[in-house]
Amino acid sequence: MDQYKLFIDGEFVDAADGKTFETIDPGTGLPIATVAKAGKADAEAAIAAARRAFDSGVWSGLDISARIAILQDFADQISQQGVRMVVTECMDAGQIIGYAKMIVMWASLLLRNLSTYAATKFPFEEEILASGNAFAPGREFVRREPVGVCVGIVPWNFPTALAMWKIAPALIMGNTIVVKPASNTPLTALILAEAAKAAGIPKGVLNVLPGPGGELGKTLCTHPDVDKVAFTGSTEVGREIMRMASDTVKKVTLELGGKSANIILDDADMDLAVDGACVGTFLHQGQICESGTRVLVPSKIYDEFVDRMKKRAEALRIGYQLDPTSHMGPVVSKEQLATIEHYVKLGQEEGAELITGGKRVEVKGMEGGYYYAPTIFANVDNKMRIAQEEIFGPVVCVIKYDGDEEAVAIANDSIYGLAGGVFSNNIARAERVARGVRTGTMWINNFHVFAEYCPFGGYKQSGVGRELGKWGLEEYTQVKRIHVPYYSDRNTNFSFTLMSDNKKIDGFNYNCPTNVIAGHGCLSSIYKVIVDLGCRRALIVTDPGVRKAGLADLVKSALVDFCVGIYDNIPPDPDLESVDGATAMARELKADCIVSVGGGSVIDAAKTVCVALKNGGKANDYVNRWFALSEPQTPHIVVPTTAGTGSEVTNIAVITSKTAGRKLFIADPRIMPNAAILDPRFTMTLPKDMTVGSAMDAMTHAVEASVSIMANPICDGLALHAIRLISENLPLVVADGKNEKARLNMQIAATTAGWSFTIAQVGLAHAMAHTVGTLHHVPHGAACGIVLPKVMRFNVDHAAGKLALVAQALGVDTKGMAERDAALAAADAVEALMQKVGHPMRLRDVGVPEEGLPLCAFHALADSSILFNPRPTGDPGEVLELYKQAY
Amino acid sequence: MFLVTLGPGAGQAVKSLLSERGIQGPVRVELQFTGCCDPSLGLIVGTIRESDLVEEVDGLTFVISPETHELAGEVYIAYKDDAGRDVFVVTSSKPVGEWDGLITCSIRM
Repeated sequence: MDQYKLFIDGEFVDAADGKTFETIDPGTGLPIATVAKAGKADAEAAIAAARRAFDSGVWSGLDISARIAILQDFADQISQQGVRMVVTECMDAGQIIGYAKMIVMWASLLLRNLSTYAATKFPFEEEILASGNAFAPGREFVRREPVGVCVGIVPWNFPTALAMWKIAPALIMGNTIVVKPASNTPLTALILAEAAKAAGIPKGVLNVLPGPGGELGKTLCTHPDVDKVAFTGSTEVGREIMRMASDTVKKVTLELGGKSANIILDDADMDLAVDGACVGTFLHQGQICESGTRVLVPSKIYDEFVDRMKKRAEALRIGYQLDPTSHMGPVVSKEQLATIEHYVKLGQEEGAELITGGKRVEVKGMEGGYYYAPTIFANVDNKMRIAQEEIFGPVVCVIKYDGDEEAVAIANDSIYGLAGGVFSNNIARAERVARGVRTGTMWINNFHVFAEYCPFGGYKQSGVGRELGKWGLEEYTQVKRIHVPYYSDRNTNFSFTLMSDNKKIDGFNYNCPTNVIAGHGCLSSIYKVIVDLGCRRALIVTDPGVRKAGLADLVKSALVDFCVGIYDNIPPDPDLESVDGATAMARELKADCIVSVGGGSVIDAAKTVCVALKNGGKANDYVNRWFALSEPQTPHIVVPTTAGTGSEVTNIAVITSKTAGRKLFIADPRIMPNAAILDPRFTMTLPKDMTVGSAMDAMTHAVEASVSIMANPICDGLALHAIRLISENLPLVVADGKNEKARLNMQIAATTAGWSFTIAQVGLAHAMAHTVGTLHHVPHGAACGIVLPKVMRFNVDHAAGKLALVAQALGVDTKGMAERDAALAAADAVEALMQKVGHPMRLRDVGVPEEGLPLCAFHALADSSILFNPRPTGDPGEVLELYKQAY
Repeated sequence: MFLVTLGPGAGQAVKSLLSERGIQGPVRVELQFTGCCDPSLGLIVGTIRESDLVEEVDGLTFVISPETHELAGEVYIAYKDDAGRDVFVVTSSKPVGEWDGLITCSIRM
């Protein structure tokens, strides 16, 4: 009789206590080999060897291509052992020889194919393209690293294949492993160890420990040096393993029991379905965890189906597993045989109708073998124990149903969710049924089909995690995120400033890629710009007023044949619905580019259209997201008709949600428009109040950007020049709305201020303006202008130098003035400008009730703009005082 | 005949569980399937069949089929307080599976 030893640290050794056990051929009941019986000391030795091997880097430290080369040799060695493995698998596990050939060949292929996949396709390192953190830009990537020391516990039904399900992914991903084969079937795992040794897998990387689970399980699943346990077996043992592993918080993957439903629809090919039901249940004597042991059959074909299934089952040949004519071999042990008999008796007691089988079978010349007839129970209620508990033998319950919905409900009425089948001639219908069943695998017009690239695992109490495919490989890795910031500087770390009195951010990233084209008549450039963007089908997005003024049609004309339509229904303060309307039109017309013609509302709506158009879905899917986009969006060309928001170059879009009852936004560099065409002809007809209001919006952008904690020299230059342009040109435009040069300068000022604040951000004045806008519907520009001077004075001791420069930009002669006085003079100059151009000076003038001010103060503190204000504040009393000053 | 031995606290725990549900017993020791991890022994409240082996232990009636007794031999029922859940570990002189001693069970009612 053959003798097998434990495989520990690259050597075949006896058990420390010298114990052995015999393994039995279930087809004869006779022993076929003596095997060393591992105990606790052996388990500890194997774990120590695996730990040493892992920590040394002899395997985990290898380049993937070097590791895969050795594993390909391992696969070759398995192939060389093919005949021995097939015969041993048959004799040890009772698999019929035809099936064992497939399984052993697959074990080798699985290793080879998964190795190649990992070496060529598996994402060991992945870039995270969307930063997701607006305050800490940098490279973000993840590495997949090995888990460490794994334990693989393998059942007796497929000892070679299921050992390889553990060994292959563990070793491919750089782990080391201790494999415990089932005590009934320990041999082929030890032959795999021989192949591994012959292939030159370093010692300690693979260890194989035959021995009783009750004794070894505790050591393997609780040892602190074990990082992961992968188990295939029963739900009852899996539950205990999970519990034991939890003490040291090991990673666990469990592939557990099943009571799968095989659903026969009334339009199924009857011959195929009957074979599917029989193979689904009786293959390998029913000792497969995903077996379709509940066959669900519609009432109208039930009797015929049961009759044909009975005939098919009774035609199956039961014989010794090495006899190539056998359809079914023995069950694995006498205990298994006794348990099958127990459940068959139980089924009869429960009132199920035994149609065929229900008895042992004697095979001539093999009288000691554990053979059992294929057994069919009809008229089974799904609540019966035989329909709810896993009978790991050739026993099937045929359950009657009416309608697809009832079939799905019965299929789901189980603690298990491992697999299932649907048989139908209507694939669409079968797929609908398959989607309704809560299991990890559903086969349509097939059963028991596995592939190394396809995941396997269970829902509910059928398991945790997945094996095979990239999903299975991932289970043998840890995910490590690595963050490398743009700045390695204490003073450019937004989070670090939380614990510092110096809130100023020094470093900056100026990335404003919008192509700006400015000047009288520059609209005609759009014909070239759209071509440069690779587009041919532009949808114009605008509002009714702009459309009525003829401006949208002017743009349409300039686009010649490249305009596919005009969406002219964007309201002021655009809502999600209007964005969705424009997006739907863009999709219908197959637009490849959006051209927005209008003010901030239209431009923001168009930015959101671009995102929804690119990524699918609706606007609501994308609002309230910061820095989440990972690729360029649908191209966007802007033709502004106001001079204020700067939205033509910024990374923000503000959209109103009626459901949320507030304004939501997208903040992302990838929504910055591709091009902005500043043709002054488009602002010539802007009314005076809108001209002034939007100008003060731009002024507030510029002033707040210049004093922000995110301020930087580039933005300072842009902001100060914007302030100068507004100061000089706003009075001219107010005096003569047809002053085209001044109009152009105001457009440039708004764009320049936009560039400034989209990087440097805004501050408390915007927080306050947003609030009165939301709560009291004050136009944004007007609200900004009213509160800006008050906030400038509030900030004076935290931004005196910058505000003094603002004063100069506003035309104040600061020569001889103290810096603080000059800074205060800037606020006075803003108020003087407002008075000069007829801007409202007080909140009471724009409809804000005095009693509403305290609530405004609380809301303003919650606005994100306040984060960037040079003077920190969290005191609602301070903000209320400012509102009162502005009232 | 010596069929069943109760570990410390096991008898009281069985009585409490039966009492909570207003059930008298008997308690059957039976083979339960545990898939590809071999069978295990479990407990279920049931009726006495004519062929059953019956034993009174600590005021409780335990039954076991002759087939199960032949396979498993003498049965030992240990009580375990598993985070407030009363469970039992049922082992036997002739283990029915390799995970003998590891699997816990409650009493099926």
